[in-house]
Amino acid sequence: MKKIILLLMGIVLVSGYAFAAGLEYFQLQKPKEGMTADEIMQIKYFNKYSLFAHDYESIGDVVFIEKDGSKRNRRFLRERIILGRGSDDVSYKDLVMFTEPTSVKGLATLTWNYMNPKRDQDVWLWLPSLRKIRKVSAGQADDSFMGGDFTVEEITSRRFQDETYKLIGEENFKGYTSFFDGKVYHKDEPCYVIECRPVRSPWYYSKRVTYVSKNFGGNMLDEIYDPNGKLYRTLFRGWIIMDVNGKPYPAQKRVEGDDLRTGHKTVIIFDEIKFDQGLKEDVFSEKTLMRQRW
Amino acid sequence: MRFKLKIALALLVFLGATSLSQAALEIERGPIYGLLKKALPFKNLEIAGYLKTETALRAHGLDEFMKQANIAQLETEYKFNENIQFFSILKWFYDSVYQLEDRYKDDPQWESKTNKKLKYPEKLQWLRECYLDILTDRLDLRLGKQQVVWGTADGVRILDIVNPLDYREWTLQNYIDSRIPLWMLNAEGKLLANGQLQLLLIPDYQANYYPPSGAPFTLRAVRLGAESVQALTAAGITVSTIEEKPAHTFKNTKIGLRWRDIIEGHGFEYTLNYLRAYSFASSAYSQLQFGAPPKFYLTRRAEGINVFGGTFSKTITEGIIMPGLAKGWTLRGEFAYITGDAMNIGTDKVIKQTGSNTVDVDQYNYVLGFDKSFFTNWQFSFQFVQMWAKAKEKYDKNLYTLLNGATRGPLDEVETILTLQLATDFLHERLKPQVLVLYGDDNDWRISPKVSYEINDQWLVTGGFNFFEGKEQHLNGQFDKNDEVFMELKYSF
Repeated sequence: MKKIILLLMGIVLVSGYAFAAGLEYFQLQKPKEGMTADEIMQIKYFNKYSLFAHDYESIGDVVFIEKDGSKRNRRFLRERIILGRGSDDVSYKDLVMFTEPTSVKGLATLTWNYMNPKRDQDVWLWLPSLRKIRKVSAGQADDSFMGGDFTVEEITSRRFQDETYKLIGEENFKGYTSFFDGKVYHKDEPCYVIECRPVRSPWYYSKRVTYVSKNFGGNMLDEIYDPNGKLYRTLFRGWIIMDVNGKPYPAQKRVEGDDLRTGHKTVIIFDEIKFDQGLKEDVFSEKTLMRQRW
Repeated sequence: MRFKLKIALALLVFLGATSLSQAALEIERGPIYGLLKKALPFKNLEIAGYLKTETALRAHGLDEFMKQANIAQLETEYKFNENIQFFSILKWFYDSVYQLEDRYKDDPQWESKTNKKLKYPEKLQWLRECYLDILTDRLDLRLGKQQVVWGTADGVRILDIVNPLDYREWTLQNYIDSRIPLWMLNAEGKLLANGQLQLLLIPDYQANYYPPSGAPFTLRAVRLGAESVQALTAAGITVSTIEEKPAHTFKNTKIGLRWRDIIEGHGFEYTLNYLRAYSFASSAYSQLQFGAPPKFYLTRRAEGINVFGGTFSKTITEGIIMPGLAKGWTLRGEFAYITGDAMNIGTDKVIKQTGSNTVDVDQYNYVLGFDKSFFTNWQFSFQFVQMWAKAKEKYDKNLYTLLNGATRGPLDEVETILTLQLATDFLHERLKPQVLVLYGDDNDWRISPKVSYEINDQWLVTGGFNFFEGKEQHLNGQFDKNDEVFMELKYSF
């Protein structure tokens, strides 16, 4: 069951801990010249969790690709409302509902994320096989979620405070060639190159090198090194800029994880992305979970 | 029957050959789904379902089938609009074990003469669920045949007592498959931001389904009852069984209420529950009338009960008392006070023969659950369960005890059960082993390890064991000789 939780939480991709760190909710943030690595990473996290928007919707397709090329799929609907509400510490609430294949159809999670960076998420899981809601614990940070090529913390729970940062360069991104469709993404995008080292030690990685766009403040590529200092995994995020009421909202369009040791790969593609549709907070309640029938 | 088996196997092979290829971003639903969508080309109709075969062999010797069931389930959802939606589940199954193993139908204790439902233990119920949803911002109505699940416990039923249960395979099946759906009105209204009040009106009544004597998982109490009837009949005594079930009247409508709320800011969730209902496990009252010939009347009565209860669940997100302490644990609990029910008194196997043999009881049942993940991806779930039964009427405790309704063995005033479930995964979550251990304080055990493997999006194979250990007077021990190895193959569409 835990894996289901991780799957549901994980594919949210942008669910996790709000960190705020002085950045104002509902305002677009992008790096400026002369910022420190810490300041850039704070903006990166802000945009990763799209705290500039009021709400968000998307449909996601997950494809797991085995070394032999065989594939498994998942499809989900996702909704989120950003609250940034100090009175009860709620940063944002997420709802993820699986629609395909039948083996996972109906699985759904409701996640409340808090502004306090030391506070875990509250997670409710609707289990169609039990027809009931279970309150569950957030996943272990170093676990891979849904059998994919990301860890839980990379997707749902890593916070700004979990790492130390060092700006190691600025460059035009060399581009990422997708293993899924062969296209090259974000070629020549001006970016900061930042080395991130985990506060926790020992940990499953010794460092990662991340490439953060100067234009929209999102990280495009993580090169992740094992405890022996060897590159063992890459995590790519492809972004698009959406015009929402005249504002340029950055949105993750695709995520690709590639385990260089095992050859296993995972891709998530987001479609029908919508921002600021006027979602009501009422939707983000157990009532919505209980409306699931499958 | 062999012919039916061959058809089922041929169908599975066909499905396997036609569903292994997949295209990225096009989730393959297989030929059955394709055929159904062609046959039912309604834009707002969603279809899903599965075919499944379940086989179990007695572990000792592996030469005897305990189950050979083929199952087809079809789920449909039709959306008239966003607010009005219809949902149904049709399920067919056939357990051919009664043909494969002649011993069942040849068993002299086989009860199949009078009760049509018992006559077909190999198949029961095709309409699993059928309801209409009317959804609004403030109020959700669900009208029709459905399951309602209360409570937070896994594998034990404390407050999950809105629907009766099918004990065809004891408690080995998931409750989703063994709950017997009831016709009811289920209304849930929003009164606070996260606070909802649920009202259930249930005119329907079904008793628990107990497999007849001679079936693979016949309860000991049922077997002993059948033996008693046999002995009485052999002695020339006429046996009459009277089933006292609540009539389908407005007065007998069962009522359920549940208040559910989350205390925002603390993530603390609780419910308060009330149920006025009839017990699904009827009490047995017997009377011997002397005459020529003598007559023995056995009355099975569904007692009217009132249930008061509540649940809570809380994930420790920051720590208890000090930061970080117990962080990551989920605590949950459930409590039920049941009044109005009755139990038999007597000694092991034997219900008290003279005078009143049934006493009213109050029951206090609760469970505390503790869940956490360890070592990256090992999920640990522990439950502490206690069930208290207190007789409200006096009886000679030197001679008699309360009797367990399932085994007709002596029932302690307090029964304690511990459950432990461990689960993890390998091979990118395709291989998922888990083990469930249940321990009763009378040295009563059930240990159920199993492993499932996801072949692809449609196919899932599962294998495992169910080990029972204990004395026949106790819940799992009564199946001490029923250790089994099982295998399941499921195709979803």
